[in-house]
Amino acid sequence: MDIFTGLINGFSIALTGTNMLFCLLGAVIGTAVGVLPGLGPAATIALLLPMTYVIGSPVTAIIMMAGIYYGAMYGGSTTSILLNLPGEAASVVTCIDGYQMAKKGRAGAALGIAAIGSFIAGTVAVVGLTFFAPPLAEFALDFGPPEYFALTTLGLLLAVTLSGGSIIKGLIILFVGLLLAMVGLDPISGKIRFTFGSIVLQGGFDFVTLAMGVFGLGEILYNLESTVKTEIVTTKIGKIFPTLKDWADSKWAIFRGSVIGFFIGIIPGGGAVISSLASYAVEKKYSKHPEEFGQGAIQGVAGPESANNAASSSSFIPLLTLGIPGNAAIAMIFAALMIQGITPGPFLVAEHPDIFWGVIASMYIGNAMLLVLNLPMVGLWVQMLRVPYGILAPIIVLFTTIGVYSVQNQVFDIYSMLFFAALGYGMRKLDFDPAPLPLAFVLGPMVERSLRQSLLISGGDLTIFVSRPISGTLIAVFVLLIVGQTAFYIKRKMGGKKTPAT
Amino acid sequence: MKKYERITAIIASLGGVWIMYYAWHTLKLGSIHIPDAGLLPFLCGVGLAVLGIIWILILQWTKETENEGPAEQRLWHRPLLSLVLMVLYGWAMESVGYITSTLIFVIAWQKIIEHEKWLKTMVIALLGTVAMYALFVYFLKVPIPPEFFAR
Repeated sequence: MDIFTGLINGFSIALTGTNMLFCLLGAVIGTAVGVLPGLGPAATIALLLPMTYVIGSPVTAIIMMAGIYYGAMYGGSTTSILLNLPGEAASVVTCIDGYQMAKKGRAGAALGIAAIGSFIAGTVAVVGLTFFAPPLAEFALDFGPPEYFALTTLGLLLAVTLSGGSIIKGLIILFVGLLLAMVGLDPISGKIRFTFGSIVLQGGFDFVTLAMGVFGLGEILYNLESTVKTEIVTTKIGKIFPTLKDWADSKWAIFRGSVIGFFIGIIPGGGAVISSLASYAVEKKYSKHPEEFGQGAIQGVAGPESANNAASSSSFIPLLTLGIPGNAAIAMIFAALMIQGITPGPFLVAEHPDIFWGVIASMYIGNAMLLVLNLPMVGLWVQMLRVPYGILAPIIVLFTTIGVYSVQNQVFDIYSMLFFAALGYGMRKLDFDPAPLPLAFVLGPMVERSLRQSLLISGGDLTIFVSRPISGTLIAVFVLLIVGQTAFYIKRKMGGKKTPAT
Repeated sequence: MKKYERITAIIASLGGVWIMYYAWHTLKLGSIHIPDAGLLPFLCGVGLAVLGIIWILILQWTKETENEGPAEQRLWHRPLLSLVLMVLYGWAMESVGYITSTLIFVIAWQKIIEHEKWLKTMVIALLGTVAMYALFVYFLKVPIPPEFFAR
């Protein structure tokens, strides 16, 4: 099936009443969680994972989940601009100039350019996804166990190094995630691992309990500590459509943000947060008036908001073509596909073209829906900030508890989720980034299977990982990354020690 | 913070050593030609043990950061209390049934965690329970633990 036929088929699937409805639902939920600080897209998709059992159709479920993810990128800018409070992590950088614009009475223009930039970048990235994903999937058909081992380990390492936090802490979480994935029956030898005599644990931990615990409840528990009350919005939004001058000032920022976001989104561990930061840095560096950044420069809103949206769409490329989730939210979508009995990867295009093309086509529609939801209806979303956390928190707890119970109808899953909630809370308290945990958990079985299969194929010859061109290249990148990071760390430490002495 | 980080690093290190022993002794590593179920757990154990030691050494070398101005006041007892409530809720769901336990849970949450007034508490508890029942039981047909009086 060529790309255009695939896309037309995709639209015929995405434009059915049910799929349109779930696409809209995803866009609405995504915008809502983007607006509400303290509940990110990964947590929301985790909370909704049990719903995928009920929805039935995998394409419908994934259309909704994708909508939540890129919808959150749209919504995240609202509180950043109006309250100087990022709705989700990818909108942190939007606060800098967005809030300054709002203080100068230009909140409407900032919100408008954020929505328009997001729409353009989202659409550009989906076009890139349309043309880039099928050839990559075809290329990945040549991958054997050594290539998959090299790719998954590199992906996990990138997820840790690009997260921006402590690499040691990230690696510890990575190993914990891999170990949690090993609980239960060993898929090759059938041996029971880490169950300590428990029969329920023989099936291993369910991803839903881990995701809902670490991301959903873990976040709730951490937020409960806070004494800061949500500020009531008093800023006048004003005219929402940007002027011709605003457009002229931001068009190149939107274009650059789209390109940066698209490419960073493809890299495992890249995603929306890094792309928005990179875009802001690029805009400031190449601006004729860098001194205006931080004082309400419209490019400081247009670039990052475009970048985070482009990245959220392009991060579907490694998932749909290689079966590698690049960030926590995409790992939840990976899990949703697995729940439906579908393994994402290079065979997805050939075996489930309805899902592959249906989801891509839905992104075009979803982006258009989000533009309508975010431009004229921004005032409505702001009203959501009036819902007190004291009401929201117990409702989320009720939702997660019955949601996790509904998966297998056993209370053990609730306790298991609470264990992960405590783990997630502890991780936040100790400043661990929880993102590598679900990635390691979902990729763990693939890492182990590909490692052991590679050794079996080669008769224990470890050079199998470096003698094949693709896996050899990936291992070389892996080694370079470790050497580079270590050298960077040592240089920084030595530089840090020298400074006080001089 | 540094004290808790040091404890976590020691736990990671000791945990790693225990996992290495468990993987080698119980799961078996197999050989490089035919690896067994313990190979990857063993490697993860090595990773955890080594990272834990490196972390301890880094903590040893770095100075405790100075207190950066007035920090936001954080109420650590609220998450602990809510975690206890959630464990009790899980237990009560099986013992007394979904609707009863949900009502009691929301009331307890609003009174103990949020210190809300009775009227608001009751309204939230009733609306929350009805909404969850309608969504999961009525629309999504999820089988819930039956009420104790209806068994």
